[in-house]
Amino acid sequence: MSEPLRQRRRARRRRAPIGSYIFVGLYLIFLLTPLYWMAITSIKPTDDYMAIPPVWFPSHPTLAHFTGALFTYRGLQGLWNSLIISSATTVLSALIGTMMAYSLARFRTGGEHLAFWVLSQRFLPPVAIILPLFLLYRFLHLNDTYIGLILAYTVFTLPLSVWMMYAYFRQMPASMEEAALVDGCSRWQALWQVAVPLAAPGIVAAAVFVFISCWTEFFFAVILSSRNAFTLPTVFRGFLGFQGSQYGESSALSVVSLVPSIVLGMLVQRHLVRGLTLGAVRG
Amino acid sequence: MASSRGTAMAIGAPIRRRRAHGFSAWCEQNLKWLLVAPAIILILALTIYPLFFSIWVAFVNYDFSIPGHDFVGLQNFERVIADPVARSSVGVTILFTVANVSIEFLAGLGLALAMTRTFRGRGTIMAVLIVPLFISPVIVGQFWALLLQQPFGPTNYILSRLLGHDVQIGWLTEAPWNFIAIILADVWQWTPFVFVILLAGLTAIPPNLYEAAELDGVSAWQAFWSITVPQLMPMILLAVTFRLLDAVKIFDVIFMITGGGPGTRTYTSSFYLYQIGFQQFHLSQATAGSWIFLALIAVVIMALVRRLLKAERTQ
Repeated sequence: MSEPLRQRRRARRRRAPIGSYIFVGLYLIFLLTPLYWMAITSIKPTDDYMAIPPVWFPSHPTLAHFTGALFTYRGLQGLWNSLIISSATTVLSALIGTMMAYSLARFRTGGEHLAFWVLSQRFLPPVAIILPLFLLYRFLHLNDTYIGLILAYTVFTLPLSVWMMYAYFRQMPASMEEAALVDGCSRWQALWQVAVPLAAPGIVAAAVFVFISCWTEFFFAVILSSRNAFTLPTVFRGFLGFQGSQYGESSALSVVSLVPSIVLGMLVQRHLVRGLTLGAVRG
Repeated sequence: MASSRGTAMAIGAPIRRRRAHGFSAWCEQNLKWLLVAPAIILILALTIYPLFFSIWVAFVNYDFSIPGHDFVGLQNFERVIADPVARSSVGVTILFTVANVSIEFLAGLGLALAMTRTFRGRGTIMAVLIVPLFISPVIVGQFWALLLQQPFGPTNYILSRLLGHDVQIGWLTEAPWNFIAIILADVWQWTPFVFVILLAGLTAIPPNLYEAAELDGVSAWQAFWSITVPQLMPMILLAVTFRLLDAVKIFDVIFMITGGGPGTRTYTSSFYLYQIGFQQFHLSQATAGSWIFLALIAVVIMALVRRLLKAERTQ
């Protein structure tokens, strides 16, 4: 593009109508208000959040709700369980997903059908498989175990990891692996020693999206776990129906839960479009 | 390491190849199937097998309150169809899906159009706008409940001050308001999804199209309809399809904000099936219901995915 053209384009883009600023501004208020209220409730003394008019900023902030949420309401156990289950799922899903994606991209295994069959799993409503899965788990004694949730989450995140990596491998030139094959590498070695290191940024991004999906998942967790393998989101069930006495604790636990996933999300912001559309859009 | 490996391979290659026989040769030949096997086995075991098993469950008596697994024919399906709560839950699901996805689409499009322009602080605003995508729907439901609840939530207080008279709305318990509460939470969470995809679409539109239009004296409004909309169409289709397919599953927010109440007024299909299956343990009835639900949305899914694939191919 020539220099004057680029300048003109920038000039066009800079002329933003005032209306769009107002819209974004209003939207930011809508977006930030609940977050602010949650954050501020988590450090309010109990008297302050049961007050009319509402207290916008507490004069005596307290961390009591954090200790309450973590120790009295077993938030710490939930945090630990979530960490184990999400991490194990991430490793498993990224590993199995990358292997399948490589095969789909490089050998066209099963043609388009196999790839779309995996994709279709993404759109299967969980409620359609949760009942028989629950019965299967009851039979195998997998209900309320780490293994049970890890396996369920691995299956449930496979469309994500397979399709993100499928898109990644397809746009990655095969020439390096071919060179390795000519050098006498086996296909297996070409995969692990050439293709995987080259695709590492994509694998990391896919893995982070898998982690976030598990970290925030509720439906499977609420049904397949109870006393032992309960994850962090299911701890919030314990705050329902108490009419206000636990607002501090539930807000504190929300803060604890959303900080890690937001931090991780920011790290993969560049890959967000691919992550949300399972690689359909490059972004 | 890379260079040493390269030379070692080149020298060792012929020997290695000759030695490769039996098991390792078989592995090498069938590598493509070995690579997809773990994923396929897992999906077969934990998705496809349960689906087939559930066909059996739907036709027998599998109810924790009644012993035995007798064949009962279509009785489970009849029970679901005869249940007025099941029928109203379909209506509620459609209502939420249509309301949520249309609002999210319009707001997401508005944000995307506003954010295509470069301005100071755009990066920061961008990072803030996508935050809801990384938060559990349970937490989103929980803090909207916190904001809207009576009597200590700030919403009624602010409305009272703005309107100049006392406002006492039961956002979580009274009929039109709790629908609005659920829509607010869902829109809060998923508008960024539409926004991110449409923004990617907008930035991919070649700017010379607009430059040519500008030279021809086309107004901004005309340019929007004749350039932006058609160019953006594949992305619109993609974003709306993804959202629709997820929106029909709405469960977490209902669970946290209304618990399906008052009564069964805000039962969605997923919530209804959860209640029947896991609170009342009528597993067969719930399974039959989930097949009806699947059949209902399968029609929509087929049509949408086919449109989507067609659009992607012609792109």
